[in-house]
Amino acid sequence: MNEFWSRYARNRSAVMGLGILVLVIFMAAIASLIFPDDPFRLAGIPLSVPGANGFFLGSDTLGRDVASGIAHGAKTSLLIGLVATFAAVFIGIIFGAFSGYYGGLVDDILMRITEIFQTIPSFVFAILLVAIMKPSIESIVIAITVVSWPGVARLVRGEFLSLKNREFVQACHTIGMSDMRIIVREILPNCLSPIIVVGSLMVATAILIESGLAFLGLGDPNIMSWGFQIGAGRTMLRSAWWVCTFPGIAILVTVLAINLVGEGLNDALNPRLREGN
Amino acid sequence: MKTLLKSCVLAISLLLGAISAQAQKSGGTLVFLVQPEPPSLAAYVSTSGPIGLVAPKVYEGLFDYDNDGKIVHVLAESHAVSADGKTVTFNLRKGVTWHDGKPFTSADVQFAIMNVLSKVHPRGPNTFSEVESIDTPDAHTAVLNLKKPAPYMLRALSAYESPMVPKHLLEGTDIKSAKLGNKPVGTGPFKFVEWKKGQYIRLDKNENYWRKGLPYLDKIVGRFIPDASTRTAAMENGEVLYGAYGAIPNIDAVRLKKRDDISVTTDGYSMINPMALIEFNTKKGAFVDAAVRKAISLAINREFLIKNIWFGYGKPATSALTSNFSATGLHAAMPNFPAKGDTAAANAVLDAAGFKRNSDGVRMTAVLDLIPYGEDWRRAGEYLKQAMGDIGIKLDLRYEDVPTWLRRIYHKYDFAMNVNYFYQLPDPVLGVHRHYGTNMIRKGTHFVNSSRYSNAALDKLLAAGMIEPDATKRSAIYKDVQKILAEDMPVVNLFELQFLTVYNTKLKGAYGSALGAYGSFAEAWIDD
Amino acid sequence: MSKSGKVFWHILRRLSQGVPIILAIVVLNFFLLNLAEGDAVDVLAGEAGSATPEYMAELRAKFGLDKPLPVQLLVYLKNVASLDLGYSFRHDMAVSELIIDRFWPTLLLMVTTIIIAIGFGIFLGLMAAVGLNTWKDSVISVFALITYATPLFWVGLMMIVVFSIHLGWFPTSGMETVAAFYEGWDRVVDIAHHLVLPTITLSLFYLALYTRMMRASMLEQYGQDYVVTARAKGLTERRITFVHVLRNALLPVVTMAGVQVGAMIGGSVIVESVFAWPGLGMLAFESLFARDLNLLLGIFLLSSVLVVVVNLTVDVIYSFLDPRIEVS
Repeated sequence: MNEFWSRYARNRSAVMGLGILVLVIFMAAIASLIFPDDPFRLAGIPLSVPGANGFFLGSDTLGRDVASGIAHGAKTSLLIGLVATFAAVFIGIIFGAFSGYYGGLVDDILMRITEIFQTIPSFVFAILLVAIMKPSIESIVIAITVVSWPGVARLVRGEFLSLKNREFVQACHTIGMSDMRIIVREILPNCLSPIIVVGSLMVATAILIESGLAFLGLGDPNIMSWGFQIGAGRTMLRSAWWVCTFPGIAILVTVLAINLVGEGLNDALNPRLREGN
Repeated sequence: MKTLLKSCVLAISLLLGAISAQAQKSGGTLVFLVQPEPPSLAAYVSTSGPIGLVAPKVYEGLFDYDNDGKIVHVLAESHAVSADGKTVTFNLRKGVTWHDGKPFTSADVQFAIMNVLSKVHPRGPNTFSEVESIDTPDAHTAVLNLKKPAPYMLRALSAYESPMVPKHLLEGTDIKSAKLGNKPVGTGPFKFVEWKKGQYIRLDKNENYWRKGLPYLDKIVGRFIPDASTRTAAMENGEVLYGAYGAIPNIDAVRLKKRDDISVTTDGYSMINPMALIEFNTKKGAFVDAAVRKAISLAINREFLIKNIWFGYGKPATSALTSNFSATGLHAAMPNFPAKGDTAAANAVLDAAGFKRNSDGVRMTAVLDLIPYGEDWRRAGEYLKQAMGDIGIKLDLRYEDVPTWLRRIYHKYDFAMNVNYFYQLPDPVLGVHRHYGTNMIRKGTHFVNSSRYSNAALDKLLAAGMIEPDATKRSAIYKDVQKILAEDMPVVNLFELQFLTVYNTKLKGAYGSALGAYGSFAEAWIDD
Repeated sequence: MSKSGKVFWHILRRLSQGVPIILAIVVLNFFLLNLAEGDAVDVLAGEAGSATPEYMAELRAKFGLDKPLPVQLLVYLKNVASLDLGYSFRHDMAVSELIIDRFWPTLLLMVTTIIIAIGFGIFLGLMAAVGLNTWKDSVISVFALITYATPLFWVGLMMIVVFSIHLGWFPTSGMETVAAFYEGWDRVVDIAHHLVLPTITLSLFYLALYTRMMRASMLEQYGQDYVVTARAKGLTERRITFVHVLRNALLPVVTMAGVQVGAMIGGSVIVESVFAWPGLGMLAFESLFARDLNLLLGIFLLSSVLVVVVNLTVDVIYSFLDPRIEVS
């Protein structure tokens, strides 16, 4: 662990990213403490500039507090990112593990299914799913999951293909371990590091997809999120820049932080990459 | 006969106006915003907004209407109504040709009204319901024989509402899917040239236009730009010169208005009279009780909506009819429409009706559906959710896409409360009756009585108002209509929308008709 | 068997695998779209203002929407088999005509985007890898990430505000100057002029991907044995980097580009929307909300066929370029 951390810490930007990410999570956690009111509440004079009328980051067209929206929205946006990523990773592992481990017909079938989802233009497909299921947090998470899992499946399959013929796996076979046990207990832990790296980046992508959907008017109307704020403020970007710029910056900073962490993890988990210099 | 004389005078003054006006320049191309891209250009099948922006440049009506709502004769040179109101004679203009060179005759008028408008047009069957037959004694006279007098009909003869279409291109075809739909051929000042999907529609000057010397412009191009902010940028940059029907968001219009080269007007919408409103399901769910609907009307701060979401463009509703009907004496202000909202009064009504708050202060919960026509309506929904929370009605918002929403409201009646807007059009018979009459409860038909409100007394009044020729008596009838609706509130009228037209000041003469953007642009010119 | 013979069989096999995938995509989307509430007739009638149920039933019969779903699907598949994508309900035009009209603008935007994104991505990735863990590396990484993490529509709008409105260098939107209707060479220049802002906006988004891939790929190559050997032989770092490492590091990046071109055929809804670029993305978006089933299925069909073909092409080119790679 110590060795891992010291390798991670060598990448200064990764440390910075982690710091920012912790801050964002902290903000999400204490949102209800700093802003106990409903973020949708009409809290004061509409379109107050940042700093005026008691609005630190200004207010939007209905007089809602932008800062409160960002704090509460952090929870939603992170949640969307995390849940969608976990779901995608879970499905991806199942498809990839079975496909890579068993090969043959199983591999063929599972990979064809994966390819179906990889071949459909993904953002348009996400839009289609959200539109059909009606815009809500659940449908957004499902849509992001559906367009994200094939990448994980491919990755996991690749790892399984290269690991399944290693000696330690052969040894498990000889002592009569069940396939399930070998997959879950022996091989999977050995391919966790690339999954973690890919997963961390997926959280960031999910947050971006959510804001993109909101831009097109496909956000959940009842739950405060950064995407919602951007969707609500984008037409007034020229007249009241703060309404969607601050949530935009929140997304930017968070996505940036997550990516830096992902890069740091990548470097730390793949020591081979470092040998060159 | 008197009418005939009057209309002749008007027609002459119109022609004089065209000749004597200040130095118009010919030539140039007008690029204007068409938003969204229309499904077709079949103005005789669909009253879809973007079709209205393009088609009336190609097709013409028998009449146009000036900014005071007075009739301007277009394809009809003059008209006369018989004393009993049951015969309307149109004397048609001579020497008018379709863009393909064929002459325009009374047979076209007969065909357009009897075979097209009263069959496949969305509002035509209503407008021309009393027309029994049309006689064509000669090529330039059309006589409409009516079952009952239909004074409102003469207000619906514009190019947008009732376009005259060529018989020789439609007869014998399936009218709804005729080639004409995508390649219109009319008598208007501009000829259809090209429609580049996703980009623009191009119309060129009709060199043989019957109004000599017109149009001034060589070309008009309708551009499609999906994103509102980009539309604004294109207007700022001078790439487009004209945008109507909310093409430029109100907040940007307020900003652009300050520039010397850009102007904003609310003129040109008096024929459509849009009204923002909430429809309720009066048969099932939380809002069956009229007291609740009344309380909702009381609780809404209409001025807040107008000021903060529509940036000042709009007028609080004061009854079920738009105040623009004051001109014809039909509008009367009613109680239960406080402009600033009265939460205390609303709470009192709900308390009196026996709706108790639970420990969370909630009296009832429901879902509020929102019309999927843009961000402003979502903001309105978010405001309503907060305002209703104050009187103990807990709302969840639902924002679905157009087909889903239409099915839910007008087909399945699977809603409790729905934000919407309706065009009240130039007369209540055309735009308002459809919303309240028992005969307008039509499952599967859009934009009719989805509240399923049914009141025999009201039906009687509506039937009387439809044929009453006397203005004073008619005004009394509609006063009673508004009284009933203010008490029962099957629909809570929110405010009269004021659409904006934003235009570059070097564009002149594009805003003389009551039809505004749905007009012909024949007299528009560019002052470079 | 000779290499080219092997490649031939490989292509055949891959194509035969591609057909069921494309078929599955069509069937999947067909049913998904039918799960959605409402149909094209609802939308048309709703836009028209009002229409009687009888009229709507008539339209449904005309579009074949009154038939049971399996029948509709079979009819569609039969038409597709004879290369007929059917009629768009909304536009009353052949789907193939509509799609081809929008395909060229999409292709133009995507290809220029990929070229710019790859070009700069390779350059920045190389710089970052050479200066690993120096300020250069950090600045490049952070720059690439910022361009990736900024919401696309925001970048697009800011581009318009700065370069169109304030500086007046480029038009705000569209593909051509519609007031002018240029022809010939003038038209090419005009389109290129309109292409600049959307291309830059979209390439900024993809830049991060290629920069990061290039950096990772370079670092991986540095770790290979042949680099150690080369160092032992006394080759300069410069020579090692530019002659050996760079060449090998490019391969995965180029493959990725191939895959991306395929995936990008679907268009970028957001960039097309902001810049009013008449591409397939907006067409798909609009046809979804208009429930224009044939049109949307046609777009999905076309883009999946292209993905399959492009992937295969990249594969084959790759196998010729790099003798170590065997077609499987």
